[in-house]
Amino acid sequence: MTLPVARRFPFRTPSLVTAGILAAALWGYVHLELRLGDLVPGSGGVTVAAEFFSRAVSPALVSEADFVPSGTPPLLLNAANAALLTVGFAAAAMGLAIPMGFVLGFFASTAWWEEDPAGARSRTLRTLRRMAGPVVFGSTRVLLAVLRSVHELLWAVLFLVALGLSNAAAVLAIALPFSGVLGKLFADLIDEAPRSGAHALRAAGATNSQVYLFGLLPLALPDIIAYMFYRFECALRSSAILGFFGYPTLGLYIRQSFSSTNYGEVWTYLYALVLLVAVFDVWSFGVRRRILA
Amino acid sequence: MSLRIEPGEAVGLVGPSGAGKTTLLRLLNGSQRVTSGRVWVNGSALDSLSRTELRRVRAGIGFIHQDLCLIPNIRVAQNVVAGQLGQMSLARSIREMVYPSRRLVERVYALLERVGIGEKIFERTDRLSGGQMQRVAVARALFQEPTALLADEPVSSVDPARARDTVDLLVRISREDRLTLCVSLHSLELARAYLPRLIGIRDGRVAFDRASSEIHDDEFAALYDLNSGTPDA
Amino acid sequence: MSAAVSVDELWRERPRSGFIRGSLIVFTALIFGCWFLVDVDWADLVSARRLSNLERFLLEIRPFPLHELPWSWSVAWQWAREFMGQRGLEAVLATLAISLVAIVLATLGGALGSLLAARTIAAAEPYLPESRAPSRTALWTARSLVASTRAALVGLRCVPEYVWAFLFVALVGPHAWAAILALGLHNAGILGRLGAETVENADPAPLRALRALGARRSQIAATGVLPLVLPRFLLYFSYRWETCVREATVLGMLGIASLGYWVEDARTRGHYDTLMLLVVLGALIVLAGDLLSTVLRRVIRRA
Repeated sequence: MTLPVARRFPFRTPSLVTAGILAAALWGYVHLELRLGDLVPGSGGVTVAAEFFSRAVSPALVSEADFVPSGTPPLLLNAANAALLTVGFAAAAMGLAIPMGFVLGFFASTAWWEEDPAGARSRTLRTLRRMAGPVVFGSTRVLLAVLRSVHELLWAVLFLVALGLSNAAAVLAIALPFSGVLGKLFADLIDEAPRSGAHALRAAGATNSQVYLFGLLPLALPDIIAYMFYRFECALRSSAILGFFGYPTLGLYIRQSFSSTNYGEVWTYLYALVLLVAVFDVWSFGVRRRILA
Repeated sequence: MSLRIEPGEAVGLVGPSGAGKTTLLRLLNGSQRVTSGRVWVNGSALDSLSRTELRRVRAGIGFIHQDLCLIPNIRVAQNVVAGQLGQMSLARSIREMVYPSRRLVERVYALLERVGIGEKIFERTDRLSGGQMQRVAVARALFQEPTALLADEPVSSVDPARARDTVDLLVRISREDRLTLCVSLHSLELARAYLPRLIGIRDGRVAFDRASSEIHDDEFAALYDLNSGTPDA
Repeated sequence: MSAAVSVDELWRERPRSGFIRGSLIVFTALIFGCWFLVDVDWADLVSARRLSNLERFLLEIRPFPLHELPWSWSVAWQWAREFMGQRGLEAVLATLAISLVAIVLATLGGALGSLLAARTIAAAEPYLPESRAPSRTALWTARSLVASTRAALVGLRCVPEYVWAFLFVALVGPHAWAAILALGLHNAGILGRLGAETVENADPAPLRALRALGARRSQIAATGVLPLVLPRFLLYFSYRWETCVREATVLGMLGIASLGYWVEDARTRGHYDTLMLLVVLGALIVLAGDLLSTVLRRVIRRA
């Protein structure tokens, strides 16, 4: 029997790539000396795991701690508050990262320095202008690579040891790598946008900044907005994790409740986190679908 | 190549593709630099101008591009307002592009009415038909309040009936507003019907430059190098 | 006058998307409103206490052999090489190995999830013309399967890798498996969603033909769907591997033997010179991962 899709199958490159990936993973498996047996926790671990997972269906509604200091807010209120602060840190970081991303993305794109074909009067000035563009472009690209290649948690650790625990540092720790990611993406999107509208505006006497703002930016904007929403969702996760370093977001309470073996509370906070991220996930997906349609 | 276009004149550029019609039009508004020689616009030589002065010259010349070069995902009104960016400061252009003032919107509307698509003013540009988009491009050029209108193959992408409408519109408006008009056209028939003066271009040279009524068919044939058959229309 | 009236009318009737508008307003409100939620004191960040702390930090990130000595590249280089030989290289290799095993497991899980979550192949009667209606129970089984898979995928991806890893470290101990499972589960959730979309968008014509030839569901999946979606799956794979490498570097901070382990180690010992070196190393791993996956994408796109 010949299958109607049989001729599609050879697909040599994807198959080779797949084989290469599997080989690499096999190397990893051997290198890490992994054994499936290690997946099974020791007898103590089994008890903890059973105890922990059995609480998944019954998250705590009130605090499970033996001793609750007076003045502590009730558990659910605390979870809501932590969720709110998680959003707060994420939004603050995005509030910094978006403008920084726009500025860096501007300099990291080729669109702003690609020379106006009939430009300045003097030859020297034209040469200078031609040289300044690539230099600024290149150094901004390097800066973006440095910003985004250092993980937000490493930024957080650096700030922690250099400056100590500070909300401002936490916001910066997320904002710096995110501005790197956003800047690179903005630059790439602007550069991929068709240039014909920009040419028309230039021919109508618009300045370079006007050409950038009204000839190129509008074309990239739908993608930029969709991506901003997606990054917000990522910022939310990062902000929750910063709790593990002592900031008052959901991560802090997950760690605290776990280490005091109040597993029901852990699930309460976990569900709060899942709910929060899921809401943003659905929201950003909706925006993406509508805006790119 | 040497030629002179008087203020208020309506001129057609004809010739085979690759003859240099587009280049000539781009030279005329300073979008391209001459390698030798000089281009004078309204009494100033373009290559001696500073960037600011050059922008001012460009702002005074409306240019309609072959592929229209509209921004697809903004409203028609914004595309038209974009024509006047050359006369606005950065701050004002941001205000007018994001939330155009009443006065400007009314002017845009009047202009769009004049080109026949007033009701589309707040439509997204890429939702319009090809002919309507062409009118938006014309409106954008006119919104510059130019002294001259350059059009590069403005009808190459629409059907003959619509092409006739557009050329008719261009000629009518430039006559009413006393604009200098310079249109490059692929269709000889249209060029002869609407434009009093035709310039034939071939291999970057002027082949002829006369009133269209005085040009013989065999001159056109020579221009397109067609020894037999009719010139493509 | 009549023109003015109709401009107003046209403005009122202009086409617009309420959802996008509303979303942008809420988004902006969040970004500006959050400063009332989070107590951020910028002035404190540059207070004398913080700055003296910073000064001490800047002194201590000088490589240890150069402490209170003039800078020398050769000594610094020697020091860095020594560290790389002792721990650095092993940390880098472990990080890469973790990311590779994790992403492959995630892709397998994601592929399975995407088949179960795609309304086309997980339908009661996949790729059949409408004429033969499936039984009511089969219909509901298929629908609830899709819905529950999707819910599970949402749950998996909404818990960050780091939180998963924290839980697994507590349960199976600081073993590489904890990091692998954490990365694997989170990414399986993401790849499952993306994969389900890809499977649903796959060209149905050849699959219908397979079905008409009497192929079973598993046969359609293996011989029809898989080759159709493989290139796209590989693209998603490379994007997610990039983030896997990135995350694998920090998961070590929970005690797993990746780069992060030594970061945490250097931090608790106060060896800020090593800490700085490790941060640079982490950045280099991430850049290398970026580069490799970009090359991979180019290879796939060209195919």
